[in-house]
Amino acid sequence: MSPLRYGLSRLGRRPLLGLLLWSLPELLPAVLMGIAVARAVDDGFLAGRPLTGVAWLGAVVVASAIGAVGSRQVLRRLGDLVEPVRDDLVQRVVRGALADQTDTGAVTRLARQVEVVRDTFAGLIVVTRAFLVAIVGSVAGLLSLSPRLLVFIVAPAIVGLAAFLATLKLSAARIRESVRAEERLAATSGMVLSAARDVAATGKGAYAAELAAADIMRQAAADRAQAAVSALRTLCYAFAAWVPLSLILLSGRSLVRDGLSVGEILGALTYLLAGFQPALGKLMSGLGNSGLKFLVTLERILEVSAVPEAKAKRVKTGATAELSKVTFSYGPHAQPVFTELDLSLRPGDHLAVIGPSGIGKSTLASLVCGLLRPVSGTVTVTGDCVLIPQEAYVFTGTVADNICYLRQSATFKQSLAAIRAVGATELVDRLGGLAGQITPASLSAGEKQLIALTRAYLCRAPIVLLDEATCHLDPVAERTAEEAFMRQGRTLVVIAHRVSSAMRAPRVLVLDGVSADLGGHGDLAERSALYRDLMLLSGPALLSDPARSLDPAGLLGDPDGFDPGAAARLGQHTGKMIANGAVTQEELRRDGASR
Amino acid sequence: MALWREVMVNGRAWLSVTAIASLLGAGVALALPMVLGAAIDAIVTGADVTALVVLAAGLVGLSVLVDLGGAYVTASGVAGTTAWLRLRLVRHLLALSPANLGRFANGDLVTRVSGNAAEAAQAGPSTVGAVAASIPPLGSLVLLVLIDLWAAAALLGGLAVSALVLRAFARHTTHAAAGYQLAQGAIAARLSEAMTGIRTIAASGTAAFEAKRILEPLPELAAQGKRMWHVLARTSAQASLAGPVVVVSVLAVAGWGVASGRVSPGELFAASRYAAVGAGLGGLTGVLGVLSRARSALARVQEPLRQPVLGYGSRDVGPGSGQLEFRHVTVESLLHNVNLTVQGGSFVAVTGRSGAGKSIFAELVARLRDPCSGDILLDGIPLRDLSEHSLRRAIGCAFDRPQLVGRTVGDSISNDVAGAHAMQVHAFLSRLPQGYDTPLAETPLSGGERQRLGLARMWGANRVLVLDDAMSSLDAVNHMRVAQRLEDDSRTRIVVTNKASLAARADLVVWLDDGKVRAAAPHAVLWHDPRYRAVLQ
Repeated sequence: MSPLRYGLSRLGRRPLLGLLLWSLPELLPAVLMGIAVARAVDDGFLAGRPLTGVAWLGAVVVASAIGAVGSRQVLRRLGDLVEPVRDDLVQRVVRGALADQTDTGAVTRLARQVEVVRDTFAGLIVVTRAFLVAIVGSVAGLLSLSPRLLVFIVAPAIVGLAAFLATLKLSAARIRESVRAEERLAATSGMVLSAARDVAATGKGAYAAELAAADIMRQAAADRAQAAVSALRTLCYAFAAWVPLSLILLSGRSLVRDGLSVGEILGALTYLLAGFQPALGKLMSGLGNSGLKFLVTLERILEVSAVPEAKAKRVKTGATAELSKVTFSYGPHAQPVFTELDLSLRPGDHLAVIGPSGIGKSTLASLVCGLLRPVSGTVTVTGDCVLIPQEAYVFTGTVADNICYLRQSATFKQSLAAIRAVGATELVDRLGGLAGQITPASLSAGEKQLIALTRAYLCRAPIVLLDEATCHLDPVAERTAEEAFMRQGRTLVVIAHRVSSAMRAPRVLVLDGVSADLGGHGDLAERSALYRDLMLLSGPALLSDPARSLDPAGLLGDPDGFDPGAAARLGQHTGKMIANGAVTQEELRRDGASR
Repeated sequence: MALWREVMVNGRAWLSVTAIASLLGAGVALALPMVLGAAIDAIVTGADVTALVVLAAGLVGLSVLVDLGGAYVTASGVAGTTAWLRLRLVRHLLALSPANLGRFANGDLVTRVSGNAAEAAQAGPSTVGAVAASIPPLGSLVLLVLIDLWAAAALLGGLAVSALVLRAFARHTTHAAAGYQLAQGAIAARLSEAMTGIRTIAASGTAAFEAKRILEPLPELAAQGKRMWHVLARTSAQASLAGPVVVVSVLAVAGWGVASGRVSPGELFAASRYAAVGAGLGGLTGVLGVLSRARSALARVQEPLRQPVLGYGSRDVGPGSGQLEFRHVTVESLLHNVNLTVQGGSFVAVTGRSGAGKSIFAELVARLRDPCSGDILLDGIPLRDLSEHSLRRAIGCAFDRPQLVGRTVGDSISNDVAGAHAMQVHAFLSRLPQGYDTPLAETPLSGGERQRLGLARMWGANRVLVLDDAMSSLDAVNHMRVAQRLEDDSRTRIVVTNKASLAARADLVVWLDDGKVRAAAPHAVLWHDPRYRAVLQ
């Protein structure tokens, strides 16, 4: 939808009517000012009755006071027009952000851009309305003074305004360019300056400065282009504002000969210079500045926040997933992440997925639960999936809000059972039970994962995907949680972070970036070099070398999510939460022993 | 302020155009009412008006031209000066020694480059503008005195009344905005919290539920918003009364003058125009505001420009295999009299507790800083004598948290495919939507991927590789593969690490403690010391 159409369609009828009705008092001073000057001069000051003159001028002040009452009501009603639009935009931004996973600018859009639209929309209404009041007032006043003068003012005004409106499209394009140039400059200089140390270390100072310089010069060019267009605007204003004056003065003699009084000429000039000219100036700068800002900003919000039609979600109770000849890549020029991958999950299956980081393990989870579609091949899933990603989602609210997030109807007893099964009892007790408040920032990454795991345990989706969902837990806590899911008998896919976790699954899918290898531990040990590498890294061979056995690391996953908070809390909860990757020696021994 | 003068000098050509245009514009604004008044009087008395109308039209034409040209020249001059300031700032910042740059936060620097530089470029025109803008209102007052002393007094009285009204206005609005911002902040906070769990939300189809939860404070926002308009309505209604009061009071007093014959109708008209222009005296504070903003922006631009840059010498590296020599190297309170020779082609691990001086050691070898005293020599030549080109070609450095630079992700490693293969990042790069040509800004990178790119970027150096904890986020498989490539390489390798597995691969371990070399020996020898083992992970 075009921003203009959007803005017009959102003007509420009733508040708009109220706005127009309350504009009537403001018409009073607008109509009166010229007439009052004319009468004050003709009947008062020039007629030697200064008191009459002052009385006429006093009438203007009284009319202005009445107008002020009206303008107060007008501004009060502005909220009724503007706030619903802002409401709608806030909703759009929020819904759009939730629908588009890659949208990172939503919060800025909410705080900055929506506000810009709100202010400029109000500004547009104000200048347009003020212009209409001034025009109607001046026209009515001039009609009563001398209809002939009206032509002098209106004709150039129409020509000037039309020319001005014609420049708006060009201005909008210039502003768009300038805004884009500004965003790019900020992004580039941010990148270059944050990398100053790296730039120095690689001797790329000239290259980096060149990157920034290109955007700096582009922005300067955009600003100059904008200045050229605003010069055009000034020209349009000059024509509409000053040509009428010359016409009135040039024909002054003939006007006086036709019976126009001195006061009436002064009155006409009052309408022109005090009513029409300022209103025209405000309209043009209003449309040219806030109007265009409104247009460009709203355009951006509508474009980014478009929400695709939501599909009705049916509850599916099957528990199988079938991937057949699935090929997936992130773009037409990208190497595929999977090529013709076949994978079949039966009800109650327990599969572990292992491989180096960045190789496509999370992509697989996203394919199974429908977040991504394969480029070719088919994914058939007969049941609802619950996916718990590495970065657990916990929101401000009660423990119950968070835990029953995917099953609002869960009972108190069911919730407690889930908490106990996953091993979150201690944590939930500390938070104050089910009614306790959660402040996400005060939880460690591991604690957040426990909450998310409890949520997944409690919900009834037949297929569970744990995408490194236990990586911030210590191995013991991880075992407790995983075994709870195993006892439930749901179809379970574990993207494993540690070898110990992979060892619990009867079947393992090894991804090495070139091929996918599916099998039991025995088969894989025989035919997969990567599988052997991974076992070697954690196996008994290392235990003989004291130095290497001390090598930390999440053995299978990318230990990026190291959470300093978790480390800081280690002192308080000894042995409970361990920073990602801190695998203990006991853990390695256990792995070795379990084989 | 020195930079102030430089900005004025840089823009002297266009600034003089701006100044002339402003002065002409002010002159026209003051002359026009007089001429128009005379024209009206001529019309009234029946004299010839043509000459005056031509004069008035000429004045208007001149003011339009001056306005047009002045505005364009000023805007494009400001654009030019802004670009000049920005370039200067960026070049200087990139030439600083990283240690000096570290005292500024990145967001702060970006603000200085994008926002402050643009504001600072306004220093010239706002100085000119402050002078020029005060001419019409002050001139109006003077001309009004010439027309009628009492009318001038009426102007001042009217201005005093409107000033009181405007002061009340400023106080009310700031208060009303607070409640609105609070409600808005609540929504933003809920949204940004939900964005952290966006994958969970998408996977569980709870977007509608989340939207409802996030938008809970919306009615409060709408209510607060309407309240803001109400406050604004009250105050601006008062303000809208102030203008007419000023003009009408001047008109009434001057009209009395007409009645008593002191003032002609044309002068009455001129007086009403001067009253309107003179009412702009209150607007002068706006110009002063721009002026003071430009001043403080200039100060913000100047601050980093005062920091000294890291200079380079002019010599090329001599023949050699990458031998490094530390001679009495001291860095104030961080490193004390370090003497050390690293054989060319050897693999050296640098270990020590945090704060022991490991990163300083790496920064010195990579010449990201200079020692306070002493010298570091590469194949017999002090690092600070080497030219930038030969130094950076000889020594490569990778960091714990590398920051990448380039338009595409390939650019960020100079499209070094061999380096990407060696440092295990080629497979990742070729799976991106446009492979190596994927824009860097659109490439989501985990810490491990970022580190591997940082390693690939370093791999092209031909004598010395410096790794400052540069493998800490690598997963086990990649860690093993990269470590193997390092072990097999024949360049000098300085690896800062506390990982025992890496130290075990090194020919020599330099154990730093409290800014001193505590020991330099193979890992197997040091391993017997429990204090050494305590340092390692």
